[in-house]
Amino acid sequence: MMKASAFESYHPIVLFIFFASTIFFTMFLTHPIYLAISLAASALLLSTLIGLKELLKTTLYTMPIFLLISISNPVFSHRGVTPLFYINYNPITLESTLYGLAMATMIVSIMLWFRCYNLIMTSDKFICIFGNTIPILALIISISLRLIPRLKDQIKRISNSQRTLGMYTDTGNILEKVKSRIRILSILITWALENSIDTADSMKARGYGLKNRTTFSIFKFDKRDIVLLSIILLLILINIIGEIQKYSSYHYYPYISNIDLSLKATFYYISYLLLTILPTIIEIKEDLKWQSLKSKI
Amino acid sequence: MAIIKIENLSFSYPEQKSKAIDNISISIEKGDFILICGKTGCGKSTLIKQLKPEITPYGEKEGNIYYKNSPLETLTNKESAAEIGYVLQNPDNQIVTDKVWHELAFGLENLGVPTPTIRRRVAEMASFFGIEKWFREDIKNLSGGQKQILNLASIMVMNPKVLILDEPTAQLDPIAATDFINTLYKINQQLSLTIILVEHRLEETFPIADKVLVLDKGKKLIYDTPRKVGQSFGNSKNHSIIHGFPTPIRIYNECNTNDKCPITIREGSAWLSKNFKSNANKVAPYRKPPHSKVVLELKDIWFRYGRELPDILRGVSLKVYKGEIFSILGGNGSGKTTTLNIISGINLPYRGKVLIHGKNISDYKKKELYHNNIAVLPQNPQTLFVKNQVEKEFEEIVNVMKYNKDEAIEKIHSIAEVLNIKHLFKMHPYDLSGGEQQKVALAKILLLNPKIILFDEPTKGLDGYSKKILGSILMDLKKTDVTTIMVSHDIEFCAKYSDRCALFFDGNIVSEDGPVAFFSNNNFYTTAANRMSRHIFKNAITSEDVINLCQQNLKNDIIKEA
Amino acid sequence: MSAKFKKRYNKRSLIISASVILLIIPAIIAIGVKLFNDRKYNLISFIVTFLACIPFFAKFEQRKPRPREILCISVMSTLSVVGRLIFVMLPGFKPVTAITAITGAFLGPESGFLTGALSAIISNIYYGQGPWTPFQMLTWGLLGFIAGILSKFNLMENKIVIILYGIFSGIVFSLMMDIWFVLSIDGLFTWEQYYMAIIAALPFTIIYCISNVVFLLLLYRPIGEKLERVKLKYGLMQN
Repeated sequence: MMKASAFESYHPIVLFIFFASTIFFTMFLTHPIYLAISLAASALLLSTLIGLKELLKTTLYTMPIFLLISISNPVFSHRGVTPLFYINYNPITLESTLYGLAMATMIVSIMLWFRCYNLIMTSDKFICIFGNTIPILALIISISLRLIPRLKDQIKRISNSQRTLGMYTDTGNILEKVKSRIRILSILITWALENSIDTADSMKARGYGLKNRTTFSIFKFDKRDIVLLSIILLLILINIIGEIQKYSSYHYYPYISNIDLSLKATFYYISYLLLTILPTIIEIKEDLKWQSLKSKI
Repeated sequence: MAIIKIENLSFSYPEQKSKAIDNISISIEKGDFILICGKTGCGKSTLIKQLKPEITPYGEKEGNIYYKNSPLETLTNKESAAEIGYVLQNPDNQIVTDKVWHELAFGLENLGVPTPTIRRRVAEMASFFGIEKWFREDIKNLSGGQKQILNLASIMVMNPKVLILDEPTAQLDPIAATDFINTLYKINQQLSLTIILVEHRLEETFPIADKVLVLDKGKKLIYDTPRKVGQSFGNSKNHSIIHGFPTPIRIYNECNTNDKCPITIREGSAWLSKNFKSNANKVAPYRKPPHSKVVLELKDIWFRYGRELPDILRGVSLKVYKGEIFSILGGNGSGKTTTLNIISGINLPYRGKVLIHGKNISDYKKKELYHNNIAVLPQNPQTLFVKNQVEKEFEEIVNVMKYNKDEAIEKIHSIAEVLNIKHLFKMHPYDLSGGEQQKVALAKILLLNPKIILFDEPTKGLDGYSKKILGSILMDLKKTDVTTIMVSHDIEFCAKYSDRCALFFDGNIVSEDGPVAFFSNNNFYTTAANRMSRHIFKNAITSEDVINLCQQNLKNDIIKEA
Repeated sequence: MSAKFKKRYNKRSLIISASVILLIIPAIIAIGVKLFNDRKYNLISFIVTFLACIPFFAKFEQRKPRPREILCISVMSTLSVVGRLIFVMLPGFKPVTAITAITGAFLGPESGFLTGALSAIISNIYYGQGPWTPFQMLTWGLLGFIAGILSKFNLMENKIVIILYGIFSGIVFSLMMDIWFVLSIDGLFTWEQYYMAIIAALPFTIIYCISNVVFLLLLYRPIGEKLERVKLKYGLMQN
């Protein structure tokens, strides 16, 4: 299902820095060009991950939020100086309409970025990143991820057993259902707590709690990770400089600012575009490589 | 050189009068494979926990334990963690993390081993144990056997000098259990690692052990080579421990032949050939299955878990008669447990009919089906416990069944009597041993006054003696016309107690008969006693059958000689 | 370590934790608002809520908790995640807050915070991380923390306090999520929109309150007994 195998295979830290920076910039920059780039890049990456059909489906789900935000903003906010028309003597302004559109674009891109993040940053990568900084919490998360499928399984067993005692029902009124399920939860809690003691013994038996614990990770930090990380960091730096020089700032109120199309501004736009479509570039590069390999075979 | 030496060791738990371990002295040589056996509650687990300081329970200890000639207490935490490995019973509970590779690395992380070294040692272990294929897998996708191998590997990766295992195969099916024991044998032979194994599955472990320690009520009964242990029980054959011993040893001990005690099936059949040449009395009595009223009928049952999923059951039909013990055997995934769930109404077939007392199961109301009718004893009795006291578990059912007060007291009393669980009434269900939990769960179910009881793997994790008790409970129920249907991997148990057996394969029944016909017609899928004796005796499927025939023949021989 | 010293130590850590909540977090917000010059509330809130969790995490990491403590927190957070599945047929009617609060009450404010925060992380690993993750972490964390503090003063034994806490926590959770919602609409915070959001979310707020009260009343004693039993049986949380 996952097609973005090339980007996905980089070290989790590189991936995490990529997502952290793109999501940060998307939330921070309200400049229409930056927002458009972010939206396009996130959609592009998501389509390589889940295919065009699924992408359209996801976008369809985000439509209500898009409409809600883009419509509600001009209705509530009457800031701005260019009235388009009036509702109940309240002006609907061009500025607040555009601002609403910008915000709607932002929230949709954030959602798409997070969707990509969730697909690529699987739990083991998440744990790898935090394994060094917060090792104990990372371990707790790992234990929990192990427990979730076990508890789910146990819920099924418990409800089957309780059903044959005549003490559990799927049908009936809400009160009965809630009662049945609280019973299951209660049995589950006892089971989970009592059985966790074995796990504690197993941890102690293998020396948990000794001094100087290390953290092992299956992910290796290779040369290609350094290369990609350097590119990402360089692009982040350029974009920060762009922000400091106010190339990426934009005002909607009281009237919308002009879009700077100077050479220097365009340079910053392109650097942002490069940052956000890096994963897609990597995928295309990989595809080409395989095509040439195939023709050689 | 003795790697572990135990001197006059006694141990008692806080606030308990009797000693859990009573004055035990043994010495374990480096590279030995030590098997420890005895009835549940004989102090096996307590003893081996004394050898692993991290998990030694609180209590009063006397005597000394030496590890490599110095007292165990002088071992540093790090040495103890690395050098003494410990595998627990439940394969699921002892896995800490969610990934196979992480679990393998966990111990080394704790020891503070740097990443490159961990990478190498984990790789080494994964290839030794054949884990490479599922190295990157989520733990949830592993089978029980794979999980236990993983537990073993994640201890072996720390390079222990002694490996201690507490009933590691109790929760595994027979094939996975044999695999696991073979792996143990392999690491003992190839790495000359000292292994201390507590087990109920003695048939497979007796032959590979160097020494066997038999415990009873915390005391050392005997500590010797397996053959000598087998031999020595001739004098004390009424000792209940012998119920768990391998079939050849049990048969040998019932016939005073005064030769070498056989330990394996191969030795056992040679021993039989040597001692029983005469042609008389070679046929065991044929147990005839009862053919009374049909209480349950499956008619052409088809089942799958979803529209797109493959069929689990493919046209199963069977009849079960009133008061019989009906066993369903077969490998993992053959559809045994699903059939049980169909009978109990938990799963609904997409084709076919389930008739209970002649009435379609879907026509029963929920209460009619589960009260005074069908009851299920699940594989894991813990799924039945709701309260924090055994007594309250019973009260709950009494309330649901609307018994009046006298009736309730009478019922609880008589069931508790039969199951011998009166002393457990004030305890927390989770403080009981596996066998006790099962009995309490059974008592809870019996209070529902069932006519048909379904058992799912009732002998899992039980020692030989507890199995015998369970068997006699089943026979008692049979006397009251209760029908028993059980799903089991335990061939020996089914052979001994069933009226009829059915073999499941690939979603359907492939053979179905009384136990004698059923097992004596199978070549591989049959009991140890049958495999050992089939070349001499006909229809002998349990060790009791073989013992009876042996004794009769011996008597005849004596009469002839006289 | 003498019992007396231990008690004093506990009190000190209580003061530290309380000051983190009452002083440091508002300070971060104030600095954040100044730094970003009165805009991008969504981003500030995202960062601040995340930062606010860090003192708790750091303290826990430093303390080197024992395996049984680790497992208790892990089991309780997993239970609250899986609890959502058990009640999947009733939207909004979830035991997460109740389980977090009970853990806090019986294992202390710190465990309460961690259980709440980790419940949020773990359930979002399953259902998808999003900008709401830090908000849920902080809200559930603090609710667990507060329950822990209340129980330090033996207040959680009182049924009325439990009911009040259940309603309070339902409202707080809803209000916090509304803040997140308003902020994500246009990156700004206006009271007008906030009121609208609160009104729109009212049915859910009511369900939250009811479910919290129901779960707390039904589960407080039983889970408490279970936790106490595990604590006693295995000498948990002792050093």
